[in-house]
This record gives sequence, structure tokens and C-alpha cells, in this order.
Amino acid sequence: MNRINAGVMLLALLAMAFQAPLAHAHNLRKKGETVTVADSTLSVTPGRDWNRLSGKAGKNVETWTLDGGQLNDLTFFGGIVPGKPLVKERHKKKAPLPKFRKVTLLVELPELLEGTYRTYKNIGTFRLISTNPIKFLGQDGVTFTYEYTDQDQITRKGEATAAIVAGKLYMVSFDAPRLHYFERTIADVRALVATATL
Amino acid sequence: MSPEWGALKMKTLKGIVFAIGLALLAATPAAAQERSARKQGFELATGSGKRILVFRPSVSVGSQSTGGMFEPNGDWTEKATTNIRVSLERLQSRLGNSVVAAPEAYGDDAQRLQEHMALFAAVSQAVIEYQFFRGNRLPTKKRDNKNDVFDWSLGTGVASLPGAQDADYGLFIYNRDAYGSTGRKILQVLALLGPGIAVKSGEHAGYAGLVDLKTGDLLWLNADGAMGGDVRDAGGSEKRVRQLLEEFPGADLKPAQ
Repeated sequence: MNRINAGVMLLALLAMAFQAPLAHAHNLRKKGETVTVADSTLSVTPGRDWNRLSGKAGKNVETWTLDGGQLNDLTFFGGIVPGKPLVKERHKKKAPLPKFRKVTLLVELPELLEGTYRTYKNIGTFRLISTNPIKFLGQDGVTFTYEYTDQDQITRKGEATAAIVAGKLYMVSFDAPRLHYFERTIADVRALVATATL
Repeated sequence: MSPEWGALKMKTLKGIVFAIGLALLAATPAAAQERSARKQGFELATGSGKRILVFRPSVSVGSQSTGGMFEPNGDWTEKATTNIRVSLERLQSRLGNSVVAAPEAYGDDAQRLQEHMALFAAVSQAVIEYQFFRGNRLPTKKRDNKNDVFDWSLGTGVASLPGAQDADYGLFIYNRDAYGSTGRKILQVLALLGPGIAVKSGEHAGYAGLVDLKTGDLLWLNADGAMGGDVRDAGGSEKRVRQLLEEFPGADLKPAQ
């Protein structure tokens, strides 16, 4: 009898352990301090304090925020290798993500991001606003802006800057609600992107 | 089956039910975290002469499928919208200051109001996730907290919302209720009994916030992901609206004697 009760209690304790909120540790990224990001050699020097979120969307992906990912999302993609998607696939069969390929061109990167968002964020509307050449990481790169409406009914604006170096994709994207949040921080983001080196 | 075996089974069953109850109790971390905050230095005395503009609450009610997807229910949403509006009308006279209902919005105005309401919900979720939940605070917000700073905003776009020109503060109310389907409830029990994984059945999010209509700054917020009161009936809605407006600055919402 006691053994049964002990088993039941153990079950309850185990269930409770699973429910305990995981210990998160978001880290401070201090103004003026150069740091490497996304488990890569990509480094940036922020012009203001940021928070690095503890969760990771992929092996070489890292997200920073000021007020939470839903309000400002600065994501670094540090050297995505050919054959891999931008972020980790949740379901390889049910929801496959487009892959970065050896033959992917700079002008095709907006499409890669769009395809990734459509599946990963499950969104219906995505509009590419502009695509322009830019120097990034000392190479010819691309910068593009876009807008999409998320599941939470908020229209977000985004701006991404990318370059392909030694066959790997390096990209920094910033997404925020078009109301207030995007305009408030985009200048800081552009200044940060300009400090990026490998 | 011997009586001993029957009794043993009964006791085990009771134990399992107790275990589930205990685990469910532990599954409500919201109880241990903050629910309400006020911007530093913001005071609103009763009868201050300030005007509060009440925007039409955003209400969506549906069910949660076995897989956890939200499935809207038009009938429930309609009932809840009416119930909440009636409760709010009854209680808003006791908010302690002059309260005006926002004019009906059409076309672009309606679209802008809807987008601000969605932004208010996103900001509320960020406050719950990154400020109210102490263990998950963002380092930059943590330092703010040492000075008791509550610094969140919807931006100056609120100044152009219908009715905003004639008021000082805007009251945003957002409700989203997803009632767990039978399949979801069965999954909840099975997941707990089997691998011991907690599966949440149902979602009852309610946020009420007072916003400065010039700056867009959030002055007061009451937000919880696990609200009480079944919004599909009148009594439950009254409970919900009371809970939403709990600790509203300058208000006296105690039930009338």
C-alpha cells in the first residue's frame, strides 16, 4: 500500500518538476563592448545596452531584444552553411523550411527569409518593400525591408542586411511592430550592423 | 475481484486523483507572480477632473483543440462581448473619474484602433513574460526594477485614435478565452499520467491598461494569463471585469452594501 502511495507521490513530484518554469538567463550585452554572436566569429559592438534572449531558434542563430521578442527582435544568423535552413525545422516533413544553397544569390535572400517566415511563423501576408546593394562585412551584400502581419494581428516591419562570405550566409535582421517600435530603434540597429566584422 | 483488491484500486485511484490535483495546483505559476503595476510617479486621485476614454474591449472566445490550436466560436464571442460591455457599463461609473465611451470607429480609424489593441495585447504579454515573472526578467528591465521603474509604451500614435483628443487617458481592455475541448482535457490527464508532462488545457488571458493619450505610455496595467470568471455568462463576466479593474487608480469597486 505504502509503495503505491509513494509511487503516486513520486508521479506528482515528477509532474511538478516538469511544470516548474525553466530557469532562464537572458544576458546583458553592454553598450560599447564588442561581442561575438550566434556561435560564430561574427562580432558586433552595440551602441546601447541590449538583452540576449536565452532561447535559440537554430544552431547559429541568436536573438537580442529591448522589451521582448514580440516588440523588438534583433536576430543574428552567423554563418549558415549550404543545405541548412535559417532556423531549426520544427517538423522536417510537415513544415519543411527553405534551405540556403551553394547556388543561392544575394538577390534571392529576401525570398529565403520570406519562405522561412511563412512556414515558421505561419503567416499569410508578407510584402517585400525594397532591396538594395550594400557593403557588409567588407563584401558586397544586400539590405532589404519588408512588412508582414503576424498571427497576433500585428503588422511588423523588418530590415535585414546580409552577405555570403566563404560560402556561408551571415545576416542580421530586425523586426518590430510598425506602430512605434520599429522607428524607435531602427537607427540603433543600423549603427550596430555597421560595426559587424568577421 | 476480491473486496481487498477493490479497496486497493479505489485507494490508488484516490491517490492518482490527489496527485493530479497537486500537479495542477503547481501548474499555476501565475499565482506566484505579480499581476499589476503602475508607472513610477503616476497618481490618479478620485475626482481629479481627468477624463478617461474607454475603448470598446477586444473580446475573443473559442475552444482549444486537442492539438492546442485556438478555434474561434462566434456565438460565445458575441455573448461574451455583450456580457463584458454590460458589466463594464455598470462598473465604470465607480472608477472615480469622468469616464467616456470611445466613439464608434469606421474604416481606417477602426483598423488603427484594432492594431493598437493588438499592440496593447503584445505589450501586456511582454510585461507578464519579462517583468511580472521575476525569474525571467530582461537584464535591462531588471536594472530598471531596482528603481521601481515600469516603462512600457504604445507610442504617440494613440493621440490620433477616435475620441483621444477630448480625453486624458485611454482604457484598453483585451480578453481572449479558449476553453479546452474534451479531447484537450483527456490529453491533459493522459500526458500527466503517462510521461508526466504538463499540458495546459484552456487559456484565459485578460489585460486592462490605462494609457496616457498624449505619449502612449502605459500608466497602469493589470494583466494575467489565467483569469477567473466564465465570460460566456453574465455572472462570470461581472467577475472577470471586476478582476480586470482591480486596483484601478482612484477607483472604489467594492460591491455595494
